[in-house]
Amino acid sequence: VKILIVEDETGLRESIEAYFTGSDSICETASDFTSALVKVSLYRYDCIILDLTLPQGNGLEIVRHLKTNRHNDGILIISAKNSLDDKLTGLDLGADDYLTKPFHLSELKSRVMAIVRRKSFNGNDILKFNEIDVDLTAKTVSVNQQPVKFTRKEFSLLLYFIANQGKVVSKSAIAEHLWGDSIDIADNFDFIYSHIKNVRKKLIEAGGNDYIQAAYGMGYKFSEA
Amino acid sequence: MKLLDKYNRVNIAVTVVIMLVTGIIYYYTISHILTGQIDKDLVLEEDEVFSYVNRNHRLPDVYESNHQQIYFTALGDKRIKRRFLDTVYRDAVEKDLEAGRALISTVNVSGKNYRILVTQSKVETEDLIRIIFMITICVIVTLLVILIVLNRVILKSIWKPFYKILNQLKEFSLAAAANITSTPSQIDEFNELDKAVITMAERVKTDYQNLKAFTENASHELMTPISVINSKLDTLVQTGEFSDKQSKLLNDIYGTVTRLTRLNKSMLLLAKIENRLIDDDQEIEIKEVLEECLYQYEEMILQLNIQLNTSFQDKKLRTSKSLLEILLNNLISNAIRHNYQNGKLTLNLTPESLTVSNTGNGIFDFGQVLKRFHKSDRSEGIGLGLTLCKQICDNYGYKLNYRYIDDLHTFTVSF
Repeated sequence: VKILIVEDETGLRESIEAYFTGSDSICETASDFTSALVKVSLYRYDCIILDLTLPQGNGLEIVRHLKTNRHNDGILIISAKNSLDDKLTGLDLGADDYLTKPFHLSELKSRVMAIVRRKSFNGNDILKFNEIDVDLTAKTVSVNQQPVKFTRKEFSLLLYFIANQGKVVSKSAIAEHLWGDSIDIADNFDFIYSHIKNVRKKLIEAGGNDYIQAAYGMGYKFSEA
Repeated sequence: MKLLDKYNRVNIAVTVVIMLVTGIIYYYTISHILTGQIDKDLVLEEDEVFSYVNRNHRLPDVYESNHQQIYFTALGDKRIKRRFLDTVYRDAVEKDLEAGRALISTVNVSGKNYRILVTQSKVETEDLIRIIFMITICVIVTLLVILIVLNRVILKSIWKPFYKILNQLKEFSLAAAANITSTPSQIDEFNELDKAVITMAERVKTDYQNLKAFTENASHELMTPISVINSKLDTLVQTGEFSDKQSKLLNDIYGTVTRLTRLNKSMLLLAKIENRLIDDDQEIEIKEVLEECLYQYEEMILQLNIQLNTSFQDKKLRTSKSLLEILLNNLISNAIRHNYQNGKLTLNLTPESLTVSNTGNGIFDFGQVLKRFHKSDRSEGIGLGLTLCKQICDNYGYKLNYRYIDDLHTFTVSF
């Protein structure tokens, strides 16, 4: 998976790059409008992570440029401006998703992976992870071809873990993903544990492996063995 | 007391007193002058008697002229002191008593002393005084009436600009778009007041705008460093093994950053709502938003074993989805968070209103709770929840009410 990170804030750009590099992803970065425009003109990416407020120009122009040239790159806008205008304009222009700063890297990864999946699977909406099959359209899960009943939150949790496989995902990030950011996250830490326990139990009972490990009391990690 | 009434009262009291005093002085003066006049008549009569006696050496015949009587009485050797006195006058024709003035004097006729008593009726004088008095009273009353009416009319019209300015001040609101308009007047003081009020209102508004803009910009600017901290933390936890002590510290940092983020987002949101910058209005079925909201809290409701009663009727609103979510989220989350084990939560949606009532500990002061950053000792929130609710309701013209009845905290949003 080839990803372009367009972000002028060095600290954030480096963190995203570090989080995304590895496994099967290649990351490129651009820190200003001009270099980003050069890159999107020369190369194609599976997903472009795009900050809107850039030195020398507005990120929306890059979206416009990509769309006028009929490039099908996935676009995820990240912006500190939680302004609805920007969000709507961005999505109208053809961006795939919009994420407001600050965000957890795991949330960003899960959104990027969703875009990449949508772009590459072309209607075949089954996400495979070893013996686990996740049907993204029907929102069902099967292990070894045996359907397993998942609740809405458990389904969302499993998908989140698969997107962030091999990474430690913090409890704050999980809570925010499951309950949204309008809800006080600390209230929900206890419930994360019970949801994760349920997911593990269901996967193991259906004959799957135990992929979820607790990580130093801070969060959880989904990985092979 | 109104300025007009106060002014009128003082004015009229002073006028009446002055008029009364002048009236009394007037009365005595006229009375004195007229009595002097009568006394002169009496002296004239006395002189006539003296000259008659001198000429004829006998008393004149007693006669009665109009309003004047004269009597002689023999005194022998005595003389009496000459004096004027107020007395009664017996009218021979009308046979009644009238106020009179008399002069007593002594005349010597051929060695014998006689007392002269000349009496004159004061009826005409008193009539004259009465007429003068009546006219004076009439003048006073007319003057008073005219004074009151004139004061009222003139003052009313003069004070009109003042009341207009006052009304504008009463209706002045920092958040409202309307400005105070100029009230021209012919009176310098009011013009000055008008100018001062307009300048003040503009200055206050500008300051308020600046402050709001500052809050919004500050919150915005804070988002970038917060997101860097957040992403660095996410990266840090990937780096490997942590001791229990380290992971406890990291957890605390995570928690704090999350709180900081929420606080900042709420402040930004509040600034935006106040500035009416959120305008994604659309037709929304409230029931759906409520159900989604309850879904978010299902774990907490289950854990506290809260008895949930819902009754939702169809109600569509044209409003911002994100704001409606925040409003309902806050109301429901408060109702759950301040609830106790095995408590109750009742949600009632009708086309007119939404009611959220719950059991809970303690009573609170609704007015206090609406203040920014107010929270109870036990609360883990950031203290902006109900402030946000109120602001959202204000923006859309809903009414947010709180009552505490039968151990139930009840919030009502009337659409």
